Amino acid sequence: MEWLFLAVSFVAVLAAAMMLTRRNAVHSALFLIVNFGCVAFLYLMLDAPFLAMVQVTVYTGAIMVLFLFVIMLLGAETTTDTSGRMRWLGLAGSAVAILLLLIFAFPIASDMLSDESPAPLDGRARLRVINAVPGGDGAEFTVMEMGFAMPLVGTLSANVALDALDEAMPDKRIDGVEYNDPREAIRAYRELDAGAYTIAVGVDDGSYASGPFFSKDLALAAESATSLVIYENAEDLIDVAVLTDDLSAPALGKMRLTLFNAVTDRQVSLVEVGQYTDRRSLCDDASCNSLIPHRVVIAELPAGQHTSIELGEGSYNLAFVDQDQTVLRTLANYQADRGLIETRVLVREPGIPGSQPSYRAAVYNAMGAPAFGSPEAVGHVLFIEYVLPVMLVGMLLLVALIGVIVLARPDALAQAERRRINRRRRVNRPLVSVISQQTGADVLSGDYVAKLTGGSDDPPGE
Amino acid sequence: MNPIGVEPYIVLSMVLFLLGALGVLMRRNAILVFMSVELMLNSANLALVAFAREWGHVNGHVFVFFVMTVAAAEVAVGLALIVNIFRERQSINIDELQQMQG
Repeated sequence: MEWLFLAVSFVAVLAAAMMLTRRNAVHSALFLIVNFGCVAFLYLMLDAPFLAMVQVTVYTGAIMVLFLFVIMLLGAETTTDTSGRMRWLGLAGSAVAILLLLIFAFPIASDMLSDESPAPLDGRARLRVINAVPGGDGAEFTVMEMGFAMPLVGTLSANVALDALDEAMPDKRIDGVEYNDPREAIRAYRELDAGAYTIAVGVDDGSYASGPFFSKDLALAAESATSLVIYENAEDLIDVAVLTDDLSAPALGKMRLTLFNAVTDRQVSLVEVGQYTDRRSLCDDASCNSLIPHRVVIAELPAGQHTSIELGEGSYNLAFVDQDQTVLRTLANYQADRGLIETRVLVREPGIPGSQPSYRAAVYNAMGAPAFGSPEAVGHVLFIEYVLPVMLVGMLLLVALIGVIVLARPDALAQAERRRINRRRRVNRPLVSVISQQTGADVLSGDYVAKLTGGSDDPPGE
Repeated sequence: MNPIGVEPYIVLSMVLFLLGALGVLMRRNAILVFMSVELMLNSANLALVAFAREWGHVNGHVFVFFVMTVAAAEVAVGLALIVNIFRERQSINIDELQQMQG
């Protein structure tokens, strides 16, 4: 990497220096193209693929072609000359450049090359915690007078310590992860060094924090993304499921949906139900001899398991059904946007004991932000945060376009041409010839001429 | 991840900027002066991208994008001016362009 950078930057500086010193303007332009290409390569090294692309297309493509075109149009290849009185400036400037190189570049370059230590850990791992335990304990609820249920006791808030030995380290703790937590900071992945961890899950219900009552060994591979789902298993014990998330882009025009089943006693299927979004069951009759038309998307997912599918772009009417064909939850008009990576955790909501349970498919959107420097990221910032400047720049381009058209309109060019010809005529045809033409007298001889030309008040030629 | 820090890029951008400034001061050909200005803009862009990488902030890229757009507009207008000046005077030596000198 260091060698690559040094080589590319050397070529860039060399091309820039050659551009400055070439007599022929076309050669200068070609060296500038080399320099721009090197800069585009450096943009790639700096994780800016979009700008590298723009650099190549706009700079080396459009702008330099315009330069070459104008140079060749004017025949101005060699009209340049470094004027003598500026030569000292060149010498002084070169001296300053070399001095700067010696002062700044060489220590850094030698540092880069002498660094024998292994490169820092290339990939980091990403981890997030999903709390899928709606209430502390299914029985501990209070029915309030208004008649709706409020989980008063034991809304579980999980503390996850990433290393049992290092619990005190604040950056190795993820505290207060609540059920269906809306906070972006909690829902997002956080970056960790890859490696082996021991995770410990504790409970924090606001009044007291109990110590870690669950621990698990966890290996985080580099460049991987992991979701820890805290859920209640079939024995009503807190358990942790480890989901390895695939954050690579889904196939073109598709989204990736990961479903985790945190409903302990149900095998959940995800089906597409078409227009039958209001059915409580897939059964068409009471004895369930026939089913309403549907298409199975995910079949029979046991509790504590997860699976991923890719859905084509579009709008779907989806339903989560259990093994008895009972509809647990309907997702009407579910929008599958291309490129979306979504994790859904199906949980049973706390309700009044004995009443019909309700289910919830909590969303955990994995696509926080597009990759740094990608066209998506730059486009997002450009067209959402900087809409007004984009408009202004567009206006500027329009004004520049009109300006160029005005400057180059044949009318103006013809005018300039006429002016130039007039001036030349005035210069080239001195007064004497005009007089001789008008009087017919031969005034172009003898001291007559000397007198006339010597006393002529013609402006000096340019 | 990029094991190279931001400093080498800044030094490179500094050197390129200096070369561009030298070109502006030394060369008398208007087109070459123009190309040197482009070189300076590019070195500033390189510094912006390097800092954007360092801070993990994509706004730097947006500014570079704007600089590129403005540079494209500037080149179009500037070259049109140069063409007109050349037609007028058969020369693009900037030492000869002194009408506006106060």
